[in-house]
Amino acid sequence: MSFSDILNRGGSDTPSGVGIGQRIREAFQSTVDLFSGERMGQFGVFLLITFILLAMTAPLLAPYNPDTRHEAEDGSLLRLAEPSGDHLLGTNHEGQDVLSQVLYGTQVSVFVGLFAALIAVFIGTNVGLITAYYGGLVDDILMRLVDIAYGLPFLPFVIVLVFIFGADLFNIVLVIAALLWRDSARVVRAEVLTQKERDYVESAEAIGASDFRILYRHILPNVLPIAFLYIAFAIAYAVIFEASIAFLGYGDPELISWGKMLYQAYTFGAIRFAWWWVIPPGILLMFLVSSVFFIGRTLEKFTNPELRH
Amino acid sequence: MGLQRYVGRRLVQLVITYWVFLTLLFGIFRLAPGDPTSMYQMDGLSPEARQQILERLGLNDPLHVQYMRFMVDFITGNWGDSFRYGEPVMDIIVIKFWNTVLLMGPAFFLAFAIGIIFGAFMGWVRGTKKEKGGLILTLFARSSPEFWIGIIVLMVFTFQLGWFPSGGIRAPGAEINSFWGRYLAWDFLHHLALPLLTGVIFYMATPTLLMRSSMISVLNSDFVEMKKAEGIPEYIILYKHAARNSILPVTTVVAIVIGLTIGGSLVIETVFNWPGMGREMVQSVTYNDYNVSQAIFFLMGSVVIFMNLVADIAYVYLDPRVRFDEQ
Amino acid sequence: MLNIENLHAHYHTDEGTDVHAVDGVDLEVGSNETLGLVGESGCGKTTLAKALIRLLPTNGEIVDGSVNFKETDLTELSDEELRKQIRWTEISMIPQNAMNSLDPVHTVGAQIVQAIRTHEDCSKEEAWNRTRELFEELGLDENRVKDYPHQFSGGMAQRAAIALALCLEPALILADEPTTALDVVVQDQILTMVSELQDEIDSSMIMITHDMSVVSETCDKIAVMYGGNVAEYADSETIIKNPRHPYTLGMRNAFPDISKDTQELISIPGSPPDLIEPEEGCKFAPRCPFAQDECREVTPEPEEFEEGHVVRCHRADEVEYLQEEASKRETWAEMKDDQGDLISATDGGTDE
Repeated sequence: MSFSDILNRGGSDTPSGVGIGQRIREAFQSTVDLFSGERMGQFGVFLLITFILLAMTAPLLAPYNPDTRHEAEDGSLLRLAEPSGDHLLGTNHEGQDVLSQVLYGTQVSVFVGLFAALIAVFIGTNVGLITAYYGGLVDDILMRLVDIAYGLPFLPFVIVLVFIFGADLFNIVLVIAALLWRDSARVVRAEVLTQKERDYVESAEAIGASDFRILYRHILPNVLPIAFLYIAFAIAYAVIFEASIAFLGYGDPELISWGKMLYQAYTFGAIRFAWWWVIPPGILLMFLVSSVFFIGRTLEKFTNPELRH
Repeated sequence: MGLQRYVGRRLVQLVITYWVFLTLLFGIFRLAPGDPTSMYQMDGLSPEARQQILERLGLNDPLHVQYMRFMVDFITGNWGDSFRYGEPVMDIIVIKFWNTVLLMGPAFFLAFAIGIIFGAFMGWVRGTKKEKGGLILTLFARSSPEFWIGIIVLMVFTFQLGWFPSGGIRAPGAEINSFWGRYLAWDFLHHLALPLLTGVIFYMATPTLLMRSSMISVLNSDFVEMKKAEGIPEYIILYKHAARNSILPVTTVVAIVIGLTIGGSLVIETVFNWPGMGREMVQSVTYNDYNVSQAIFFLMGSVVIFMNLVADIAYVYLDPRVRFDEQ
Repeated sequence: MLNIENLHAHYHTDEGTDVHAVDGVDLEVGSNETLGLVGESGCGKTTLAKALIRLLPTNGEIVDGSVNFKETDLTELSDEELRKQIRWTEISMIPQNAMNSLDPVHTVGAQIVQAIRTHEDCSKEEAWNRTRELFEELGLDENRVKDYPHQFSGGMAQRAAIALALCLEPALILADEPTTALDVVVQDQILTMVSELQDEIDSSMIMITHDMSVVSETCDKIAVMYGGNVAEYADSETIIKNPRHPYTLGMRNAFPDISKDTQELISIPGSPPDLIEPEEGCKFAPRCPFAQDECREVTPEPEEFEEGHVVRCHRADEVEYLQEEASKRETWAEMKDDQGDLISATDGGTDE
């Protein structure tokens, strides 16, 4: 039984006897089934879980406070020290421990990725549901807006907005989410349009179910697989955009992120020699983003193959 | 014929999109903190002098007057002066615009050309180790932000191998005689290589993946089997039938990749010190140089909007089913 | 001209098992002869046709047997030899769904011209002229050679596909349900036309269908396939008037206009057999009202009765009894399955 089968069943005949716990257990089981035999997908899940755990335990794992400026034995600042027993990934231009910074940087990327993606897909899914279900003028206007949102150059727009509203982490999350919702809105709308024609919607309408109930109890479970896929894509884009913003120098000045580490390394000219400062944040960035793309590939097989991204 | 009516309808949409885009632009830059005078305040600008500047720039007029003037100015190409350079924005941007177009344009086209060929190949050898390897590489390329790819490229080709310069658009002191003299030079291409490579690696992922999945579905279709039965050589089936049909859906991501490319110019130009619009945009925002940043924003948006139109028309042209729909 | 011997074609599944889609087929097609290949969907008839010209999907494989075409074993040829010497020049195909079988982004004419010019050294102009002539012959407006497939109706597309199949005047045409997608009137027109043209260019044909009435009109010989085997093979008249295999008898009941002695439709209950690693025994036995213990335990071998009438059935010699009983509705209605449960006569059928 596939993932969408479970969800479809939830939608088509509203189960009175089946408890929510049962449904969650089934959904979990079907997710496990979905990933069985999918090596790439399993690898993605493993990576993503690892990153989330790293983010949560960064303060425990980090050998030092990432802001501490370490000193050499002669009392001078320990600048750009090569990796050693004390500093497994060496130090940066201000004598800070690179390993600790990288671990703390995980928090920013994971936080921005997850939150921006959830907000974006939450907005997008609701917009898609409502526009497709009601159609008419609401649909026309919102979809024109989506078209226009596609016409905006993304990164310049984000930078202008971050600049206007201020470069704190929440603003960055909100700004990214405010632009990323368009993707999920468009595909969820397309999916709802096909679901609307199905029998179960008609029969729900026939027995006089409210619009709200039809939308969220009946249709929503059927578009969830696509919403999940778009959460995966949105995480990837959110992480890339946050890192890009930080690399251009507009990141949250209070926080250490991978993008900011690379920004500092780059502006200091350290990419010529200090590989230990440059490679770790970049590699981790690449693996974090690829983890959700790998997961996305597995999810994609179970959703509409016409989805293009 | 259907095609003309379609283009007509798309042009009307284009005008509306432009209008909304310009209005948005006006709104955003009026929202921005501070005003042009905040730049001069450090120099001990008196409140009266400040008022004078605001008056001169028309920033004290009612909003709708400002809005109308903004629209007219923008459409007529009167983009004001740069606060930072003290020169007309147009003069500053023209060169930078071409610098960006000559970097990102080829990056975009190469990304599509290589992506389509690579994706077609991956679809053709589907189910093999080669395909799997290609797929993983593509996913990693797509997962690496432009600046990270740029940094790796720099580390390898400049700092390790020393083959290419680390940045800039031409060697210091190079002589420039004409517009084309700037670009038709070995020196320019030498500087172009690495930023171009960076862009191509990142942007080719999307068309590659799409071309691959599109190929796989086309290769399962009846007509490909028929062409085999007809004894048509494999390579002709591959490019004339399978790839030709698979390209259709790939054109739908042109818009998305154009958007990525334009946005990516900020990052790539920063990494390689390329004197283009993207780097100028980043700097002008930092320096509150509104006129420059909004003009660049306008140009970037225009490119995206215009290329969207081109992509839509290309799609209609490539697909006879749509082209002759209304006969 | 075409002689298939002991052909076995398997599909490999992900679970590592094999589907024996074609399981030991012997057939012959003579010059200018039309052979009807009849059976339910899943009986292996399409796989057989694809195996002939080696167009099986990647998980399909010819595991045994030979396909002798004009003294050449097609299973021994290299891909390139097959492509150059056999495909379309000697053996062409009329597909089931012509619309999907034409490339949507090229004009219909261009696709015919391409087929001609791939195999024959002729000028573009000449190829186009031949294409126009073919269009005329098939009752299509020759000015529409430059139309795209989607601009054609289903019937027109089917005619175009036939034009494509005939363009090199092949020795053998494989027609896979060439008219099922069309309405009855058009079906008839097209079948008649195909027969005429086939005579004109003097080629043989294998007509694949699940529809007994189609083959009875157009074919010289008929092979009834069941479960990857040929259950019964004879000339058309024998198959229709005097069949010996219970499956053929059952199929005949489903098409009243070809067997005058049956007034009402009787369909065969049950569903086609699972062909994954089949066991010993007659494959039709579970659905056969005349099955005995022997049928379930021993696979029947093909046995020739009259000249050219080959049957795979242990009880084929009891022909009068079988024909008598098979025409009664009760015979099929009272059938029981392996578990002894009654199989409803309505939940299956010869049609798909």
